Amino acid sequence: MRLLPRSAARRIALVAFLAYAAAMLLLGSAVYWATHAAFARQIDSSIEQASTALLAEYRDDGVRGISEALTAPHGPGPIALGTALFNRDGHRVAGNLDTQMPAPGWQRIVFLDPLEGPDPARAKTTALTGGYRLVVAADLESLESIDSTILGLFAAALIVILLVGLTGALSLSRYLQRRLGNIETTAAAIIAGDMAQRAVQGPAGDEFDRVAASLNAMLDRIAALVANLRQVSADLAHDLRTPLTALRNQLELLRQIGDVGKAELIDAAVERADDVLALFNAILRISEVEEGNLRKAFAPVDLSALATDLSETLSLLASDGGRYLNSAIDRGLIVTGDRELLAQAIINLVENALRHTPRGSLVKLSARRARGSVALVVRDNGPGIPEADRSRVQQRFVRLEPARATPGHGLGLSLVRAIAEAHGACLSLDDARPGLIATLIFPERILS
Amino acid sequence: MRILVAEDEEDTLRFVERGLGELGHNIIAANNGEDALHHGLTETLDVIILDRMLPKMDGLSVLKRLRAGGVTAPVLMLTALGRIEDRVDGLQAGADDYLVKPFAFSELAARIQALGRRLMPTAVTTKLHANGIEMDLLTREVRREGKCILLQPREYRLLEELMRHAGEFVTRTMLLERVWDFHFDPQTKIVETHMSRLRAKLNDGFAQDAIETVRGVGYRMRAS
Repeated sequence: MRLLPRSAARRIALVAFLAYAAAMLLLGSAVYWATHAAFARQIDSSIEQASTALLAEYRDDGVRGISEALTAPHGPGPIALGTALFNRDGHRVAGNLDTQMPAPGWQRIVFLDPLEGPDPARAKTTALTGGYRLVVAADLESLESIDSTILGLFAAALIVILLVGLTGALSLSRYLQRRLGNIETTAAAIIAGDMAQRAVQGPAGDEFDRVAASLNAMLDRIAALVANLRQVSADLAHDLRTPLTALRNQLELLRQIGDVGKAELIDAAVERADDVLALFNAILRISEVEEGNLRKAFAPVDLSALATDLSETLSLLASDGGRYLNSAIDRGLIVTGDRELLAQAIINLVENALRHTPRGSLVKLSARRARGSVALVVRDNGPGIPEADRSRVQQRFVRLEPARATPGHGLGLSLVRAIAEAHGACLSLDDARPGLIATLIFPERILS
Repeated sequence: MRILVAEDEEDTLRFVERGLGELGHNIIAANNGEDALHHGLTETLDVIILDRMLPKMDGLSVLKRLRAGGVTAPVLMLTALGRIEDRVDGLQAGADDYLVKPFAFSELAARIQALGRRLMPTAVTTKLHANGIEMDLLTREVRREGKCILLQPREYRLLEELMRHAGEFVTRTMLLERVWDFHFDPQTKIVETHMSRLRAKLNDGFAQDAIETVRGVGYRMRAS
């Protein structure tokens, strides 16, 4: 048997309601017992006082004194008291309390109320000399009536409170179910294939709205990744189809033609295959760098020497392509990393600048120390990259010309970004007015 | 040359065996580490090709035991991973060269050729000669048919590699490794660019191109 409902919202509401009811019961009982005890104490002290006064009379004037005091009219007190004096035979000789002679001490007795018949009372009996006994008693009717009033009020209050609590619990449970339902519906829609569905975000900014916002943000991120993956697959397929088709056609041609020109065709086919392999190597290299396992082999690298060396090598490449490369490299710049990856990053940035600028452009490679870090900058005076595209070009396979005419796989900058991330460096692309300025900022290695 | 090929992948083994056989080499094949160790210790070999991952005993252990057993034949390690630490491990264990799988056959052939040559007694050479070109390694002077040729440091290193292996192919990857110390393909034309400079300087005033290029394979200094 299930003690608790299946719905968590109902369980929360039920538990809250039960806790509330238990608190009410506890509070009610405490009030009842405190009131009852206080009133009973007051009764006892009235009896005690009256008893003491009468015993004083007895000490002064003996039985006659008491009898007179008993017959004298009683001053009006807060509590109606009855008194009686019994002789040694057990006969009542004075007083208005119509009851049998009780034993000495505190007890509960029953007396005959002239109007209401037998009634319970609280009594104190004191034994006097000569077998007399003095009884002072208080009617318990008032205490009982206070008790019953409190109980009645409390019962009524409890019913009202329980009703209010139950209603509250039910609406709380319905509210929780409704708020959670929003998220559940969204999830169900996504599962069913409607990837565009998003959870409704309320204006309150409460926990539920925050969960909905997180869910939406997560879904957006996944959607972006899926879109990127789809784009990457499509681009990869496209980039592979072209050289593979060419390769296929060259092989076909090889079968048809005679020996003349065969060697050239074979060379061209090998080159096509190398293109495809180069593309795969580039993809795998990015994955390898992104995995971060290479960090284990990181060591201090003299970035100044590396950059100087590469600028010499690359300036030949630049002048072959009709561009100029010059460099301004500070001495003694040391970073922690992998020499070859850093070389790859510099090569890619410079090649990128050489490739996307018109002939006659100037590319400048510089490295300098800047506020506790090392900045490696490649700046060109070419057409630059529109601001909207600057973060996009760092993604895989993104090439800004739709025709994809310039050689390359669109992987250069994404590899630079992966290398930067592996080195705890950041890559930023900015407007050099005119041209592009690519900056890699490395934390400088502190030589200890 | 007598070459031991220790490789557990059937396809790779067959293709290496066939390719090297066609180049006139004598192949001894092993498809696990224990066999490779046995052949390595008992046969006279010119070059050993050792896969890093072999059943029964891995390539590194085989290599260490071969070296401990006094085998001095040059060893080329094949590795599926291009990680830096793998290369360092292999070289520390006594390998002479390494190649990342999958590899182009021409790359393997060129490296085997280069390794095989190390067997010949290498008196300390201070001068290299080939094809009328003379390189003085001490004065760093380069002459072709007596004509002095001025080279940049990289061009000089490129020429030195080609001269040391005159008559053999040197691949682009080998040049990247030896001249630039790059153990990866930077996917750029730095080798080609430097090679064309070097070629222009060497051939200036001469009818014959001193350096032969085979697309997809590499470069070769003509032996005569």
